[in-house]
Amino acid sequence: MDILTHKQTAISDEKNEIGKSCYHCGDYCQDDSIKLDEKIFCCNGCKTVYEILSANKLFEYYSLEKNPGIKKNEKIKRNYEFLEDLELKNRLIDFTDGTITSITLNIPEMHCSSCIWILENLYRLNNGIINSRVNFLQKTLNIYFNETSTSIKEIFELLASIGYEPALNLGQKEEQFSKLSYKTLYFKIGIAGFCFGNVMLLSFPEYLSIGTNELPEMKKIFAYINILLAVPVFFYSASDYFSSAWKGLKKKIINIDVPIALGILVLFLRSLAEIIFSIGPGYIDSLTGLVFFLLIGRLFQNKTYDTLNFERNYKSYFPISITIKEGNSEKTIPVEKISVGNRIVIRNDEIIPADSILIKGRANIDYSFVTGESIPVEKKNGDVIYAGGKQIGEAVEVETIKDVSQSYLTQLWNDEAFQKTEESRIVSLANSISKYFTIIILSIAGAGAAFWFSIDSHIAFNVFTAVLIVACPCALALSTPFTLGNTLRIFGKNKFYLKNTHVIEKLAAITAIVFDKTGTITENSLSEVNFDNAFLNDEEKILLKSAVRNSSHPLSKSIYRSLLEFSIHKTNSFEETPGKGIFASINNFTIKIGNNNFVNEKLIIDDEGNTKVYISINNDPKGYLLISNKYRTGLKQIIEKLKRVYQLALLSGDSEGEKQKLRNIFGDESNLYFKQSPHDKLNFIKTLQVKGKRVLMLGDGLNDAGALKQSDVGISISDNVNNFSPACDGILDSKMFHRLNDFISFAIKSKKIIITSFIISFIYNIFGIIYAVTGTLTPIVAAILMPLSSISVVLFTSFSTNFVAKKEKLL
Amino acid sequence: MQVEKFSYDNLVVKQFAIATLFWGVIGMLVGLTIALQLYIPELNFGIPYLTFGRLRPLHTNAVIFAFVGNMIFAGIYYSVQRVCKTRMISDFLSKFHFWGWQFIIVAAAITLPLGFTTSKEYAELEWPIDIMIAVVWLAFGYNLIATIVKRREKHMYVALWFYIATFVTITVLHVVNSLEIPAGILKSYPIFAGVQDALVQWWYAHNAVAFFLTTPFLGLMYYFLPKAANRPVYSYRLSILHFWALIFLYIWAGPHHLLYTALPDWAQSLGTVFSIMLIAPSWGGMLNGLLTLRGAWDRVRDNPILKFMVVAVTAYGMSTFEGPMLSLKSVNAITHYTDWTIGHAHLGALGWNGLLTFGILYWLIPVMWKTELYSKKLANVHFWISTLGIVFYSIPLYWAGLTQSLMWKQFTELGVLQYPNFLETVLQIIPMYILRSVGGFLFIAGIFLCVYNLVKTAKKGSFEKNEEAEAAPLIKEADKLKRGMIHRWLEKRPIKFALLATVVILIGGLVELIPTYLVKSNIPTIESVKPYTPLELHGRDIYIREGCNTCHSQMVRPFRSETERYGEYSKAGEFVYDHPFLWGSKRTGPDLHRQGGKYSNVWHYLHFEDPRQMSPGSIMPPYPWLLTNSLDTSSTSAKINAMRTIGVPYGEEYENFANKDLMNQANAIADDLLNNGIPADPDKDVIALIAYLQRLGTDIKGNKK
Amino acid sequence: MSVIFVLIGASLAIAVGFLIAYIWAVKSGQYDDKYTPSIRILFDNQKKQNETESKSDLNNKQGAA
Repeated sequence: MDILTHKQTAISDEKNEIGKSCYHCGDYCQDDSIKLDEKIFCCNGCKTVYEILSANKLFEYYSLEKNPGIKKNEKIKRNYEFLEDLELKNRLIDFTDGTITSITLNIPEMHCSSCIWILENLYRLNNGIINSRVNFLQKTLNIYFNETSTSIKEIFELLASIGYEPALNLGQKEEQFSKLSYKTLYFKIGIAGFCFGNVMLLSFPEYLSIGTNELPEMKKIFAYINILLAVPVFFYSASDYFSSAWKGLKKKIINIDVPIALGILVLFLRSLAEIIFSIGPGYIDSLTGLVFFLLIGRLFQNKTYDTLNFERNYKSYFPISITIKEGNSEKTIPVEKISVGNRIVIRNDEIIPADSILIKGRANIDYSFVTGESIPVEKKNGDVIYAGGKQIGEAVEVETIKDVSQSYLTQLWNDEAFQKTEESRIVSLANSISKYFTIIILSIAGAGAAFWFSIDSHIAFNVFTAVLIVACPCALALSTPFTLGNTLRIFGKNKFYLKNTHVIEKLAAITAIVFDKTGTITENSLSEVNFDNAFLNDEEKILLKSAVRNSSHPLSKSIYRSLLEFSIHKTNSFEETPGKGIFASINNFTIKIGNNNFVNEKLIIDDEGNTKVYISINNDPKGYLLISNKYRTGLKQIIEKLKRVYQLALLSGDSEGEKQKLRNIFGDESNLYFKQSPHDKLNFIKTLQVKGKRVLMLGDGLNDAGALKQSDVGISISDNVNNFSPACDGILDSKMFHRLNDFISFAIKSKKIIITSFIISFIYNIFGIIYAVTGTLTPIVAAILMPLSSISVVLFTSFSTNFVAKKEKLL
Repeated sequence: MQVEKFSYDNLVVKQFAIATLFWGVIGMLVGLTIALQLYIPELNFGIPYLTFGRLRPLHTNAVIFAFVGNMIFAGIYYSVQRVCKTRMISDFLSKFHFWGWQFIIVAAAITLPLGFTTSKEYAELEWPIDIMIAVVWLAFGYNLIATIVKRREKHMYVALWFYIATFVTITVLHVVNSLEIPAGILKSYPIFAGVQDALVQWWYAHNAVAFFLTTPFLGLMYYFLPKAANRPVYSYRLSILHFWALIFLYIWAGPHHLLYTALPDWAQSLGTVFSIMLIAPSWGGMLNGLLTLRGAWDRVRDNPILKFMVVAVTAYGMSTFEGPMLSLKSVNAITHYTDWTIGHAHLGALGWNGLLTFGILYWLIPVMWKTELYSKKLANVHFWISTLGIVFYSIPLYWAGLTQSLMWKQFTELGVLQYPNFLETVLQIIPMYILRSVGGFLFIAGIFLCVYNLVKTAKKGSFEKNEEAEAAPLIKEADKLKRGMIHRWLEKRPIKFALLATVVILIGGLVELIPTYLVKSNIPTIESVKPYTPLELHGRDIYIREGCNTCHSQMVRPFRSETERYGEYSKAGEFVYDHPFLWGSKRTGPDLHRQGGKYSNVWHYLHFEDPRQMSPGSIMPPYPWLLTNSLDTSSTSAKINAMRTIGVPYGEEYENFANKDLMNQANAIADDLLNNGIPADPDKDVIALIAYLQRLGTDIKGNKK
Repeated sequence: MSVIFVLIGASLAIAVGFLIAYIWAVKSGQYDDKYTPSIRILFDNQKKQNETESKSDLNNKQGAA
């Protein structure tokens, strides 16, 4: 219910404040001028949706939840012509038989049970829709429709008209793959668990050694049923371990799965032999339990990876289709079809798909995607605009000068230098241990068997297999994923998101740390606003605050934040000229905020380093605000700490304006490098690595992509978690920047925990092997020892990581 | 493609709902009657058909299969149609199911008082009715499954899974527990004997509680509780987990009903282990139900429907906690055979099944009749008096159970039983029995209020047989695709195919193994144990007919307090000819397994004539008709033949001489009675019953000498 | 105790049956969405004509439930 009630509480809070709320979306209504059926609406968009719903008698929408609607932006009228393109259509379609077609759409707007209801009753709004089903948690909508009576385009238009505009991106389809592999894992666990449970049940008489004397035949039947239950576990549930071991062996590598596979194999064969030749009850319970626990470990591991796996396909960033202009007509084509020389139309908030030249219109490009720089860059006709930038403001026309695949962004991604080898030292540690482990175990087994052979050949066989059974390194295999998985989870809780568990190990091993400046050690969202050159009284500050409140521009936000203590007036009119500034009328005042050109109609070249925002009220110039960078809180302290252990360096693309300030923090001037191009940064890291350093790079945005990828660990700092670069190994929420040192030391401790757990599992193995070589390993000992070692290792790693995390105050 | 228009069948729901209330009243009135008989034995008015022994099975059957059963069907027929967005596949089957089920109930209500019973708890009905049950049940199952198959909603709501589990499991349980050989039109012997029969019976009975009283009601809870509260279930994920965990654990917990019996230790331990494990899913389900109302407790305060449901779900939690506790051996040693068990069962039945039923009906009737509930206030009153009724019912019984058990086990300092006379322990708890009947009365008063309130509600509203509805069709193409996938799945992966094949072989193999072991198992393990003589066999059937096993156990457990009181503890080998087993589950009277030779024939004769002649204060009713009814010797050969078929070693053609042996033994007893001053005809029922009682438990004694 | 086999056989058969049902359920995507179905059952899809009654009726109904 949380999800459902969340929005409602938000609404009611607002309502208390204001009073009248829109019947459709619950937002505040300025007056009750927009009215229908005695209901008031905040805007015509909401009214339109209500009209559509009421015309189709879908009143239940409003009875399920209060004000369930989505505020509709009337101004944005998207053109869905591009959905007529056959290739694009085929990409959206899950299944079709020519007439009946199924598509799955992403509806980010759904938020309550009314949404589910209306989206599942789409067939009442469009006769061509046969069936529609919502998956609320994934925010997807599956629609079956009849191609002869409607089209994807019409469905999109319908959804947009009632406020549920589908989100489109190319990355969507590939996610479904991982789901399939999950299903297989669920089956394997389900079957292993089922068989394990039943085998335990049938082994109870054996454990308690009761009842068997009276009914020897029962013991036998139970053992045979156990074999039958072990068959699917052995052949199906455990199959991954065999194939992995086999793949390893083919490459002449003895990986961790080799001893596991060997253990499982021997367990199975020996149990089979014991039962068929009536020697004993076998070890079926250990076998099924072992596989069950191993798979649970794997599920845990995969789940952890999955929730943290943020490296989305870069395609997700690009608009799925693009409008191109041919002569005077416009048409839509999929993004890959763009070729050099195409004239394309870029609207507000759309991303430039390929490097282009601006032809027409005022371009105001937000490169925060690429550079992390929040200040939009104004472009004039004839300027080159690079891919990955986002147009803010009116629609512009550009001509592409490169293909999408050749453009700057994809070049960055495809650069061979960024392909990291995914080899992790701990995994390789486990693998190298397992190599020796396997050899040692085989030698012990062989030696034991050889020793016993002279005494009793029957015992010799028992000893040989028993050693292989108890030595099965399941605890060894579990400790790494559980520890690292848990560490990842704890990092994630602290808003430090790592690409995978390998990164933890690499993080633990770093010797040098390189910082980028802008956006990394400076805080975009907390820029300092200097009022010294602005001549504003309190009333004027209120006007200023009221005006910038309407804008989502980063600078407006900074100003707004610096004026928190002031109240707000109601805005009469508001106009934002992209790339220039804001014009607003409030009470009897008009206020202009923006660049000098806009506000004062003068062109003055800004000082280096800082940004100025000019203000005029009723056309009376009020000076300017100086907005300067502010370093992240705790920067000095964290650098202090890191300096003691690691070699530090700062790489900045800016000029040396802040050198003095930075020297105070970093202490040594020789570590500060200015006017660094992305290529310089990459080379710098390469040089360090050549000197044998293992480098942690903290950067921001795609501009540092090369350096981030080159470094051993590349972390991107983000004020907004969703805004990240695919080149990095992790994202650190800027609010947690001051914990960097704790993160690194926690990573080091996790590694120690793994090694400790290796030792624990070795101790178990030594005990087990002593039992085994002396020929006294009974099924009951194996049944206790094997799960005990796995469970205790899992418990140890989970508890100790949590304990350490608590000590480090990460939990 | 157009929206499909159809209608829901509300008529069958209405019929089942009415039947629920009708049989609820009947079943509970019978219950009140027998509760009163426990301290006013004369309340059978000297009529054999109204004795406690014959009415108790009627009460349990009426409440479980008529009251709860009809509610299950009403709820299923209502919710399945809506969750599947389709009408039941066959109106005929719905009708057949309804009338067939009512016919079975009527048949039970007639045959049980007449004494036609198998004596197996919750499965007392004789073989022709068993067959009818199977037919009607399969009709219901087909109707259910086929409706689900042709549903218009792809997802199967969790309630459907609970319903399917109910159908599948009850089918298997019913078949296995009804494996019996007919020995007459309304007489049969189960093919299993003694320990085996007991195991089958309690495997059945436990799972009947699980899959008839629990899973279908959980399904109903998952549908009607969210509906009544108008909010989704707290965690749907948890409900799915709840279902699968319950299904995979429940089926193994049966043996906990037979702790300290002749059942092997390991089977008992197994039952205990799995019973304890059951707490987890059960409580998961309970919390899921309660947390659904999280944040809506203010609504619970003034909504009687939610009140009923909340207390019902709480009662479910309490009983599912109590159950596993009772299966702990040390607890079981105290509570078994006492009234505690009765209290436990009623907490579940009255609390969980009863209150949830009322909650659902209070929601369902106004919805189907398109009106508001006639009186919320009356429903609130009903809620309070039925809750009070449950409290008045359970607590005295827990108290009685504990008191009696402690008295049974009390030794003096000299090491002899403090209360050697069983009757003393009975008299001690009579006040509890009186209180309990007050609780029962309150509960019944409540159900009358409920009937009144609902009848008034229905009169106010208007009922529509067929409720119009529409839904988008489920795309068939998707099905085709799926089926193709399963096929490919099998073809492409030989290992998985082998897996399925293994499963088939496993089942096939077991089916083949069974007969071999069955024959083997009927070979006696104690040499001195011999089959019953024809007269004893008749006596045993009279014992069954009169329902003596409802009050008397035949199982001396290996406790000093019991061996001291009754004699040598019971051995598994002593029961190999007991078709069916008669261990009983409650000791309202003393255990009878070592009864043979304890009292004289005359004592028994007079005791049957009027128990109070021999034991002043006894609450056993008189059985004067045993003294006058003539024994039906014409069925002897059929009985002998049936017994021989299931492995009792009567000689070849013994059926032809059996009646001769019978008369000889009867004459001997009659002579003995005459010698002691009581002239009695040797062909009366009482002679056979005395013969059986004097035989009980003597085989092993004879061996010792 | 041979009856144990009957019971284990029957129990196991049921359990295996449910295991297959479980596999089917996961395979066919029954559990892909573990939330929406719980909301969906709260909707009663009645025929359109019934809804010509004004929506205030529905609101009342809502309140009553």
